[in-house]
Amino acid sequence: MHTDAAAAPNRLAHHFPDMKTQEHAARMGMWLFLSTEILLFAVLFTAYALYRFLFPVGFEEASRLAHVAMGATNTVVLITSSLTVALAIHYARQGENRKVVGFLAVTILFGMTFMVLKGFEYHHHWVDGQLPGRMYHFTGLSGPGVSMYFALYFLMTGLHGLHVLIGMGLLSWVAFRANRGEFGPTYSTPVELSGLYWHLVDLIWIFLFPLLYLL
Amino acid sequence: MTAATHSEGKHLGPAQYVMVWAALMVLTGVTLAVWKTDFSYAARVVIALAVALVKSALVAIFFMHLWEEKGVARLVLVVSALMVSLLIGFTLLDNATRFPYANPPYSESWKDVPWQKDAPPMQAEPPPIRTAPRSQAEHPAAHKP
Repeated sequence: MHTDAAAAPNRLAHHFPDMKTQEHAARMGMWLFLSTEILLFAVLFTAYALYRFLFPVGFEEASRLAHVAMGATNTVVLITSSLTVALAIHYARQGENRKVVGFLAVTILFGMTFMVLKGFEYHHHWVDGQLPGRMYHFTGLSGPGVSMYFALYFLMTGLHGLHVLIGMGLLSWVAFRANRGEFGPTYSTPVELSGLYWHLVDLIWIFLFPLLYLL
Repeated sequence: MTAATHSEGKHLGPAQYVMVWAALMVLTGVTLAVWKTDFSYAARVVIALAVALVKSALVAIFFMHLWEEKGVARLVLVVSALMVSLLIGFTLLDNATRFPYANPPYSESWKDVPWQKDAPPMQAEPPPIRTAPRSQAEHPAAHKP
C-alpha cells in the first residue's frame, strides 16, 4: 500500500512545507488553467448564442440535421468515462495502482468510442454536404444562418474532440506511471490533475449536446 | 509528512460516485424525454439548459472534488462562470439593442424592415433522420415573396 513513500524519490519541492500544501497549490494551478479553458470555449458559446439570436429559424432547422442518437450515446459514454476517472483518482489515493491502471484503460477506451462515433457523425455530414460556409451544398435545407450553424458545429465539436484526444494522451501517461506503482496516499497529483482535465471535457460536452443537437 | 494527504474525513467513496453517475444518467434521460414532449419551444429550451446546469454542477462538485476542496480554488470555477455569463449576456444585449441594419442581413432584427422581402426564403424539407414537428408554413421566414 505505502510503497510509494519508501521507494519513490522525494517529490516535495523545497519551497513547500509538506506534500499536502504542495498538492493544494497544484490543484489551485490546475483550476486556474481550467478557467482559461472555460474562457476559450466561452468565446465559441458566445458566438453560438449570438448567431442563434440573429438566425433563430436557421439554427433551429439546421440542428434537426444533427445525429441525435449518436450525440446522446456520446453523452452517456463521456459521463460514464467521468465516473471511471473519478474511481481511478479514488484508488490512486488508496495506493491501489492496479485498479488505477484498469479504470484509466477503461476511460481511454470510452474516449476512443467517443472519437469513433464523432468520426461517423462527421462522415455523415461530409457526405450530405452539411459543411461550413461555401462548402455547404446540402439541398434539403437552405437559408440564412444554416451554414453558420455548421461552422459553429464543426468548430465547437472539433475543439472539444481535440481536448478529448489530449485528455486520452494525458491519461495514458498517468496510466503508464500508475503501472510502475508511483501513486499512493502522499502522492497522487498527476492522477488528480489529468482527471480534472477529463472532467472539464465532460462538463463542456454536457452543454454542447443540448445546444447543438436538441435546441 | 507521513500523514495522508487526504485525511479531511469528508471523502467520497465509489458508492457516492456511482450515485452521482446514476443521477447524471437520469438527467440525460430527462433532457431527451422533455425534448420529445410537445411543451412549448421556449419551455423545452429552458428545461434543457437548466438540466445542463444541474449536471455540470454535479460533475464539478462531486467528480471534480469541489466538495472537499478548500480555500480559493473553489472560487475559480464560480468566477469563470460569472465571466462567461457576462460575456454572453452583454454580447446579446449589444446586438439586441442595435439599430437593425447594424446586424447581418436577413437576421432576426431585419424582420420588420420592409425590404426583408428580398431575403432568400427558408427552404426546409423534413430531414432524413427526424421528422420535422413543425410544418414549413409556420416558419416566420418561410413566407413566399
